[in-house]
Amino acid sequence: MAPDTRTISLTVNGQPHVAQVEPRRLLVDFLREDLGLPGTHIGCEHGVCGTCTVLLNGASIRSCITLAVQADGASIDTVEGLAQGGELHPLQDEFSEKQGLQCGYCTPGMLMRAREILAENPDPSPDQVREAIASNLCRCTGYQFIIEAVISAAARMRATKEGVAP
Amino acid sequence: MTTANQATPGAPPVRDHSASRRWVGQSIRRVEDPKFLLGRGGYIADRITPGTLHAAVLRSPFAHARIGRIETAAALAVPGVHAVITGREAAELCDPMPDFGPDPAKHTWRCLAAEKVRYVGEGVAVVVADSRYLAEDALELIEVEYEPLPPVTDPERALAAGSPLVHEALESNCAYERSFDFGEVERDFAEADVVIKDRLRWHRSGGQPLETVGAIAEYDQGTGSFTIDTNTLSFTSYLFMAAGTLKVPVNKLDIRPVPAGGSFGSKLFANKPAVIAGMCARKTGRRVAYLEDRSDNIANCDHHGSDRVYDVELAMMRDGTMRSLKIDVVDDYGAYIQFGVGHHGNALAQVVGPYTIGSVRYRVRAALTNKNQQGAYRGFGSEVNNWMLEQMVDKAARELGLDPVAIRRMNFIRDFPHFIPTGNVYDSGDYERVLDHALELARYDHWRAEQQRLREQEGRHVGIGVITAQERSVFSATEFWFWFDEPGAPVTSTPESVSLKVDATGGITAVLYSCAFWGNSPETMVAQLVAEEFDCSPYDVSIVYHGSRDGLPATGPGGSRTTVMLAGAVEGASAKIKEKARRAAAHLLEIGPDDLEWADGGFRVRGDPERKKTLGEIAIMLHLFKHSFPEDMESGLDASKVFDHPYTTMPSADRKDLGVFYPFVGHACHVPVVEVDIETGAVTFLNYAAVHDCGTLVNPRSLAGHIVGGTAQGIGTALYEEFVYDEDGQLLSSSFMDYLIPTAMEVPELTIGHVETPSPYTPHGIKGGGEGGRMMAPAAINAAVNDALAPLGVRLTELPMTPERILAALRAAGHAG
Amino acid sequence: MKPPPFAYAAPDTLEEAVGLLTEHAEAEPRVLAGGQSLIPLMNFRLAKPGYLVDLRNVAGLSGIRRDGDVLVIGAMTRLAEVERSPEVAVAAPLVTEAVGLVAHAPVRNCGTVGGSLAHADPAAELPAVALALDADLVAAGPGGTRVIPAAEFFTGPYSTALAADEILTEIRLPVWPGGHAFTEFSRVHANFAVVAVAALVELDGDGDGDRIRRVALALAGVAPTPVRATAAERALAGAPADAATIRAAADAAATSLSPAGDLHASPETRRGLARTYLRRGIELAVARARNER
Repeated sequence: MAPDTRTISLTVNGQPHVAQVEPRRLLVDFLREDLGLPGTHIGCEHGVCGTCTVLLNGASIRSCITLAVQADGASIDTVEGLAQGGELHPLQDEFSEKQGLQCGYCTPGMLMRAREILAENPDPSPDQVREAIASNLCRCTGYQFIIEAVISAAARMRATKEGVAP
Repeated sequence: MTTANQATPGAPPVRDHSASRRWVGQSIRRVEDPKFLLGRGGYIADRITPGTLHAAVLRSPFAHARIGRIETAAALAVPGVHAVITGREAAELCDPMPDFGPDPAKHTWRCLAAEKVRYVGEGVAVVVADSRYLAEDALELIEVEYEPLPPVTDPERALAAGSPLVHEALESNCAYERSFDFGEVERDFAEADVVIKDRLRWHRSGGQPLETVGAIAEYDQGTGSFTIDTNTLSFTSYLFMAAGTLKVPVNKLDIRPVPAGGSFGSKLFANKPAVIAGMCARKTGRRVAYLEDRSDNIANCDHHGSDRVYDVELAMMRDGTMRSLKIDVVDDYGAYIQFGVGHHGNALAQVVGPYTIGSVRYRVRAALTNKNQQGAYRGFGSEVNNWMLEQMVDKAARELGLDPVAIRRMNFIRDFPHFIPTGNVYDSGDYERVLDHALELARYDHWRAEQQRLREQEGRHVGIGVITAQERSVFSATEFWFWFDEPGAPVTSTPESVSLKVDATGGITAVLYSCAFWGNSPETMVAQLVAEEFDCSPYDVSIVYHGSRDGLPATGPGGSRTTVMLAGAVEGASAKIKEKARRAAAHLLEIGPDDLEWADGGFRVRGDPERKKTLGEIAIMLHLFKHSFPEDMESGLDASKVFDHPYTTMPSADRKDLGVFYPFVGHACHVPVVEVDIETGAVTFLNYAAVHDCGTLVNPRSLAGHIVGGTAQGIGTALYEEFVYDEDGQLLSSSFMDYLIPTAMEVPELTIGHVETPSPYTPHGIKGGGEGGRMMAPAAINAAVNDALAPLGVRLTELPMTPERILAALRAAGHAG
Repeated sequence: MKPPPFAYAAPDTLEEAVGLLTEHAEAEPRVLAGGQSLIPLMNFRLAKPGYLVDLRNVAGLSGIRRDGDVLVIGAMTRLAEVERSPEVAVAAPLVTEAVGLVAHAPVRNCGTVGGSLAHADPAAELPAVALALDADLVAAGPGGTRVIPAAEFFTGPYSTALAADEILTEIRLPVWPGGHAFTEFSRVHANFAVVAVAALVELDGDGDGDRIRRVALALAGVAPTPVRATAAERALAGAPADAATIRAAADAAATSLSPAGDLHASPETRRGLARTYLRRGIELAVARARNER
């Protein structure tokens, strides 16, 4: 007996998609496997670590505890949509400059959360960034260089006024 | 210590480029980064191809039970399920797992439990299905008859008579026991003025990287070969053991490493997922992925950290001179003991810390219990020794009325190389310089004054920890077997290999074997080292990770060995390439090879620099113009170096001297300032300074990142993280809701300093430093908390220092919580 | 950790939603709001509803409005919206403070007020807030709507007075504009509270002689449901708002508790934390009440 499926329509990184999904299919699996966007990673599958963070209508969510059907009609942003025309987004570039990544596994989720943080507050203090990224675990860096990267990226984004809205 | 070992160190002379380094020492951006930033990391879960099947493992809910009947028919009937393999069937399809433990036949470890489960979460069956979703659906339909047995969860009770036995064949829960005496322990204790005693307890935590272990396997029926992609690879020379598990010759097993989302030791030789995936691939004839989920990993990763009970005596003179140590340690290894007591070898490498302690007694008992087994966790057992010793030093200071900084300073080793009582050597160091720099960075005097002011004026409990401790690097193989007087396999190899290939355009490719990317930066290290050798850009060096089967011998990351060993391999391969390139250039320039010098990416005639050939010019000739060279000069320009451990000596027959087995020893000083809320048991950081000396640094920023990250994990070990088992062996911290990993709010901003005392024995004077942060932080934080609570008569001797433990200690001392 | 299969519907009206719960009763249906509590349980396969009724498309369940002395919040209102709401900050700042402590921002982006209340985690913030404010919770079922006082709503750990075919539609919170404090102890930042305290005070008088006119205290994490510290409230009502009185009330309240223990805190530690956070919470609420005069 074939499983019951639903049709969902959503936009991912600006591209429209229509797909058939089982209601139980997790959004993170849909993105990774059905849409071929493996940049969003799975860390815990119970909503604690934030590794699977993507933006849904500009707000960060945990895609491991979101059903794909809950994203019907939504606009999703993943790490694959950050770089534009072969150029790294300032956040990506600053993560590299400041060595805000080591294994890179938490990085996509961290980048998406950082986008939201800077959209809400384009000029945060290091303490504000530290508190805001507490939502996302990193096991490698101890967070310090991530915070430095976000602060540097924020300065660059303010300077070039490259629309911070996600 | 035998004189013979000290007189012939066997260490090679080292090339020192310090005057003219261009790349080593630069904090360049990592060459690895772009793919990870773009979301194209290529982790194991990213390599699922259409048609790949998925495995899921059924796990025991009991800590200790016999396995009776297993009904699998209902699971097999689920559409999309391709196979169900029980532990008993797996025992026919596969031999036991590779096991370096003391007596593997008596504590047999299999990829799935066959007759008995020995810890909650041990796998008893595996399902293979079209998707992980379906596989998990099918798991729920498998019925297993368990006959529960009484579990044993306390290591000391496990060693007592009458305890339930984890392995009946062993007839005991003591997998290993031995007492070593190094130096004149009884004499030193007899001459001491005072003996400081304590009992200390370090509970197990673990690496818990955000990515679990996973493997994708294919079995080729035609060739009888396995190809397994997995995020673990190490000890390629020992992979014959994994091949044996899968019942194929080692030259029919190819393990190909993929980038890993962190390891911290937990992906070291983690072959169980590969074996399970391989077994399922062979059974189904299909490509099979087994990707642990978080529940699989927390309960069953086979890489829990050290879990120790210490009874320690430190013999002191009244003036603060440290004389001798008696250490009695029980280590709770869980249900299996895959790495033997190697974790204690790591302790013995630096057992006296940075101090001129003259003798040591070390008694170790490995207890088996109904828990997941220990594996590797950053520090591999040496960080526990650091903590234990620094606790004792602080206790001694308190009892003798001495300042904790002064007592350390007065006992520092100052002459190098220095052989410690166990026989290992500390190659170089300047502990005073590190201490002074750390105190300065920490604004120590300021914080001492603040501590007093806050206590007197506001009744706040602020504490400062000052610890000085070692970070050994680059282990020798002897530490696998010097535990036994008559070891079955007294192995002596821990090589690392690199192949360098210069193509016809002069571009360089470096091939790494067994050198997993775990978040360490092997590509950046190698690129910088190659760039240093050949005056190219590190970003122009191409790095390839080679699989195990037709690769060169290699050991992989662990024991902070990677950078040193890669440096030796790169240096060796570069030397061979340059030797051939020199001869080729000499031929092309029609001059003697000795009249040439390497400069700026090529060979030039000494005294006539216009006559030169770049590496590219040499390479194209070697690749394409054979007839331009003498007969004995082969085409191409590539070379490999198998770099063996540069400084290892054998243990003495009586084991009173273990030889040199971990010679490149760095050092660090951590100075955290904490505040303890005595009403809640919460510990917060007011300041944290750390100075590390890991010899020459290849990429200082990268090392700093490891120090911060390691310190963060040390904070977890000190305050938050614990695999908590209850009396029934149930794992209470079975998810990230209860296994508490520090967020950005638990980790303070660190002020980091570097000191570099190069090793005399390694290329560029590099020492390993990747583990250092975690090797220091637990000791430092415990010291700080104890400093805060000392006025209340409270001292914590158990990690992690949870609010519960802190409040219980306060209540016991008469302070209401 | 993938969820088990289930049937699913995302109806457009409340009536349809209730109807589905009734119609598919034998499948043990659950309501899906933000999913931040339910889906992790399903990923662990600890919850296996045969039917999931998703409220995402049901109109009229979301929104914040002030209705005289009552703040009305729709059950599907996202916690992030509540956190940012100036109306809530004015009418019931206790709610604003408590919501800010619910997990992390990404969880608050999805999680809903109704979801948190209906999940009834004994350590959760919003149930304690509802109890402290004597809120009314409105449920819609096949028989129509009914109002359930907070004091009757939470019946046990993860258990409420809602019938299997009832849906929480809104919460009505009596306003309490000042004198608030929501404090909690968690082991790591934004993790589940070990103990949480909601404190509300209104003061009479001025300066040093002020007295507590009205007080409400609720605790989470110390019992199978959130609890009101009624004895302490009685001791404090009309009493001077001084440190000694507050301390005595907090001590008495804590001593009367019989919390369970777990790997994070023993019963004794939970009692101690309750005492500490009651004291700190009441002091903070009093300080704020004074500042707002």
